[in-house]
Amino acid sequence: MIGDDPTTPEAPSLLPEAVAPLPEAPAAPLPLRARDLGAAASRLLHLQALLTADRMQGPGFAFAMVPVLRRLYPDRDRFAEAMGRHTAYVATHPIFSGYVLGAAARLEAKRAAGDPIDGARIDAMKRALASPLAAIGDPFFWVVLRPLSGLIAVLGIALFGAADPYEPDLRVLLCPLLLLLTYNAVALPTRWRGVGAGFAAAESPSSLLRALRFAEWREVFERCGALLYGALLALLAAGLHAATSAGGSGAGGLGAALVPLALGFTAARLLLRRGAAATVETALTVLTLATLVSLAL
Amino acid sequence: MIADFLRIAFLGGMLSVDRVAGWNLMLSQPLVAACLAGALVHPNPEWELWALRIPIAVGALLQLLLTNPALPAAQKPHDTATAGVVGSTVAVLGMAHLHASIPASAGGLLWVVLGVLAGLIAAVLGGWVHGLNRAAAVSDSRRAVALAAEGDAVGYERLYLGSLVRIFTLGALWSWCGSLALLAVTIAILPRLADLITVRRIGFVFAVLLGGALAAAYETHVRGVKGGLRWTAAGAAAAAALLLTLASEGA
Repeated sequence: MIGDDPTTPEAPSLLPEAVAPLPEAPAAPLPLRARDLGAAASRLLHLQALLTADRMQGPGFAFAMVPVLRRLYPDRDRFAEAMGRHTAYVATHPIFSGYVLGAAARLEAKRAAGDPIDGARIDAMKRALASPLAAIGDPFFWVVLRPLSGLIAVLGIALFGAADPYEPDLRVLLCPLLLLLTYNAVALPTRWRGVGAGFAAAESPSSLLRALRFAEWREVFERCGALLYGALLALLAAGLHAATSAGGSGAGGLGAALVPLALGFTAARLLLRRGAAATVETALTVLTLATLVSLAL
Repeated sequence: MIADFLRIAFLGGMLSVDRVAGWNLMLSQPLVAACLAGALVHPNPEWELWALRIPIAVGALLQLLLTNPALPAAQKPHDTATAGVVGSTVAVLGMAHLHASIPASAGGLLWVVLGVLAGLIAAVLGGWVHGLNRAAAVSDSRRAVALAAEGDAVGYERLYLGSLVRIFTLGALWSWCGSLALLAVTIAILPRLADLITVRRIGFVFAVLLGGALAAAYETHVRGVKGGLRWTAAGAAAAAALLLTLASEGA
């Protein structure tokens, strides 16, 4: 338990009745250590374990803040007050959550040290930082980088080439590794730097936001995605050509392979344009239609 | 087989934590999940090399089909993490069990199509299973707020870590049950359809599925990108030039 004070048993007082006892001095805050921030940062990995619509990442954010608050507020009441502040609504991008945590920890440390910072100011700073970071992070990491790393891994399957039929196919490890390295080469350093950068720039969140160049990088990565998609098409066409040539069916065989490919492409595009978010349903519909049509062959 | 399913359950649990709890290391991407499942499932020795090849194709198709360009809040709650695990496991173990009763597999394409189908079904059903976690998170969140208001840090941490264990357990159970149930359905149904399964039909379905995957990738990577078609053409031209150069050197 935090801030449990041992209760003093009633003892006969030697002071005269008129002298009031001195009020208890609040427990002195301890300085925040890098270790506390490190512990908080590592807890951010579990930020969304209690994600709900009304508080979003609030409970996770408070969970991450526990090592910091435990250090700053040995007194249980002040700890409880701070925890209440951080379980409130927070919605940011998980990769950028360290920035918000670092800045909140800095303000909490100053408040614990006696600076005139009230809880409302800490809340306002969190809101000022969390929402813009979500607006930067969601389009970059979810919409661009994650699909791009998947595409690079799929491209890797074609580029590494099939292994000898009697040897283990190491692409089963190489391609996932390619995906993980591509995504985490950007995401992990951003996470790593976040807490320190947020702690340093707690007083000026706008300068912190301006320093992030992800919107510019987003365009570059989007173009990379389109470029690599073109490369995937070319490699696929070459693979189909090689397969039909090896089968001795030549141009007729290539055409026979391209017709169902084009059918699947067209059907999926039409379905996706009607409901872009329903990718699984689209794939299942295409697969069902293909199976039904194939019965006529 | 029990050991296979234990490994698959553990993998499914870890991937659920990655996707749901916020690790976001992308372990839960369908290609990674399918390949890891393929590396963990060990059918009979004669199928071990296939057990490495089929998951690559299942994972690649699922990766393209399930990559959703919409923001997470706008997506339907599908479990793409265990889709790769279930798809890959059903494909590999289905192949090992049914190869004798299915005369045509079109060089393994049948098992790839089967794996993708199993993965897609698992994604939909897994979304429902994780609805249990979302419901539990709402009540846990209320309890967490009450504990925070009391300043009970230990109780708060215990509750929070308990929710992590719940996510892991649900993912593990779903990977286990989903793989087992879909494999059982496959073993029960597919031999009855053996007469309908021909190389031509398998090839057709696979090609349509590949076309669908390319359309999903087009929506993600090209549509909406400024000059997207031009960049796509440039990428295709560069890859074609590279292939022609390599081919001429090889010749």
